[in-house]
Amino acid sequence: MNAVGSDMQHPADVQLVGVRKRFGAVAAVNDVSVDIERGTIFSLLGPSGCGKTTTLRLVAGFEQPDAGDVYIRGARVTSMPPYRRDFSMVFQSYALFPHLTVAENVAFGPRMRRVARGDRARSVDEALELVKLRALADRYPRQLSGGQQQRVALARAIVVKPAVLLLDEPLGALDKLLREEMQVELRSLQQRLGITAVFVTHDQEEALTLSDRVAVMRNGVIEQIGAPREIYDRPRNAFVASFLGASNFIDGVVVGREAASIVVETPGTRVSVPGDKASGERVRIAVRPERLRMARADAQGLPATIRDIVYRGPVTHFYMDSASGPLLAYQQNARAGDWTIGDEVRCAWDPDSAVVLDGARE
Amino acid sequence: MKSAWGWFLLTPPLVLALVFFVVPLVYLFWVSLHASSTSELYGAALTLRNYTDVLGDSFYLTIVRRTLGVAAVILGLCLVIGYPVAYFVALLPVRRRMLAILLLLFPLMVSNVVRAYGWVSLLERRGVVNTTLRDLHLIDAPLDLLYTPSAVVIALMTILLPYMVISIANTLAALDRRYQEAAQALGASPLRTFLHVTLPLSTPGVASGTLLVFLLTLSAYVTITLLGGPRSKLLVSLVYDSVTAFQWPRAAALAFVLLALALAFTGLILALLRPGRVQGAAR
Repeated sequence: MNAVGSDMQHPADVQLVGVRKRFGAVAAVNDVSVDIERGTIFSLLGPSGCGKTTTLRLVAGFEQPDAGDVYIRGARVTSMPPYRRDFSMVFQSYALFPHLTVAENVAFGPRMRRVARGDRARSVDEALELVKLRALADRYPRQLSGGQQQRVALARAIVVKPAVLLLDEPLGALDKLLREEMQVELRSLQQRLGITAVFVTHDQEEALTLSDRVAVMRNGVIEQIGAPREIYDRPRNAFVASFLGASNFIDGVVVGREAASIVVETPGTRVSVPGDKASGERVRIAVRPERLRMARADAQGLPATIRDIVYRGPVTHFYMDSASGPLLAYQQNARAGDWTIGDEVRCAWDPDSAVVLDGARE
Repeated sequence: MKSAWGWFLLTPPLVLALVFFVVPLVYLFWVSLHASSTSELYGAALTLRNYTDVLGDSFYLTIVRRTLGVAAVILGLCLVIGYPVAYFVALLPVRRRMLAILLLLFPLMVSNVVRAYGWVSLLERRGVVNTTLRDLHLIDAPLDLLYTPSAVVIALMTILLPYMVISIANTLAALDRRYQEAAQALGASPLRTFLHVTLPLSTPGVASGTLLVFLLTLSAYVTITLLGGPRSKLLVSLVYDSVTAFQWPRAAALAFVLLALALAFTGLILALLRPGRVQGAAR
């Protein structure tokens, strides 16, 4: 087995190196390389058909890559069948064995890995305790609620103490309240056990809540990898910016440069944005709605007219029209001004909260 | 209100079932409790003799045993041959699977009688099998292939095999692949995945195939008569013989013995395979 360069302090539990997978004419995964650090949750986030599930299945070995290599704990597993790889998986549909009880489902992994009977019973007990389901050990999956089934699936996966836990939209089938509860529970369980997890989701909030690092995928390609904050605050392009929540896009031309910033001329005002572009270049900047400040028409900023106001409890959403196109601002209600529809306003933001995007037009 | 409407809708089928199924069955049982009569359907005296004769006579018991033996062998062969075929068929993509199932059904489109005579012309003393073997100098005298339990087994098995294959293939094809993947993710090799997951989850198909094959074996008549001849009779032949001898009560009693065997076997299969525990599974 060849180990690839993993530094000792933060060994990578999963590594993909230049992995490609085609289905017919479609490149489902196109040259994906990632390192997933031990003890972290790594999310693959993207719309359906972006290749996130295929990437997960390549780690599992349910799909074989056309090119590239997969490593688990430094061992090359590219051509290894799934059952020899050190991982376990939680499926979206849970895939609990309907002919086995909860305890038998959880015992399945240890049994297949030929754990002695006594140790098996003890570890099954522990795993069920972790997900608070010991009382239901003798039930069949069909006798459980969706949330309980989800916990059994989780217990079944963690009981074998895998090098990596793969989760394919595991919370997708739960209702919103239960999903949020399970997110927190999943996170604390993962941290207590120090498991490395790869999490596939199309829910950006879920990815941001759960992950140490997020890879945003589109068309088989990773558009951006980073910590949730980084991805959210500093999206590299318009796709990432709009996939993770709402964003205002403002087009302009670079008219000057300062230390680490550029000055962009937009219809109606000039703004300073961190970045490095040549003068005269057309650029697009992105600003999150919660970063947009609204001021009276005599202030500095981008001129806009309020088209619509939507009260949302803790915040109010302001929909505005400007020479740069529609704008959206979220204002905390605790400190929102009293605006009415049709008001002329000026929109401004801190230079640091704007991002210059790659690829001027998308 | 709603349940009244339900009962209203249920009335016609209930009446039909009562008139054409329950009443005749009860009547048949009533007939079986009487002595035979030369002029009437059944004699005047109530008696259990029809049953005690069948269950006490070694002639009848031999035939009951032979019937069960033949059915067991056919069932075993159908399972052993049918399961792998079904497994293969289930792996095919949908269109080809439909084509394969159509091919499997093809023999069923030919009449039972025609097929039985086909086997006769193959297996008789101067049939295709014997003449070929003799031309190849493998045998000197023709083999007695026809009119044996083996002939019945071979002929019935080939007729009933599609029922087994289609039952199992449908269950396997409907099986969510995630179950097998979940097993492999937990370290189960393909063989252990099959033994611990695929096989148990296919029990509904195995159970329905088994019941179809067994019950159709018990009730087959043409094939048994044409290929078993007078020497290899099964229970169903005795029913016919009793009828032709105008022993209606005896025929009725034999029919109930057959029914009891069928019910007992059905109960046994359901208890052993418990197909219900797999069904109604979560998503």
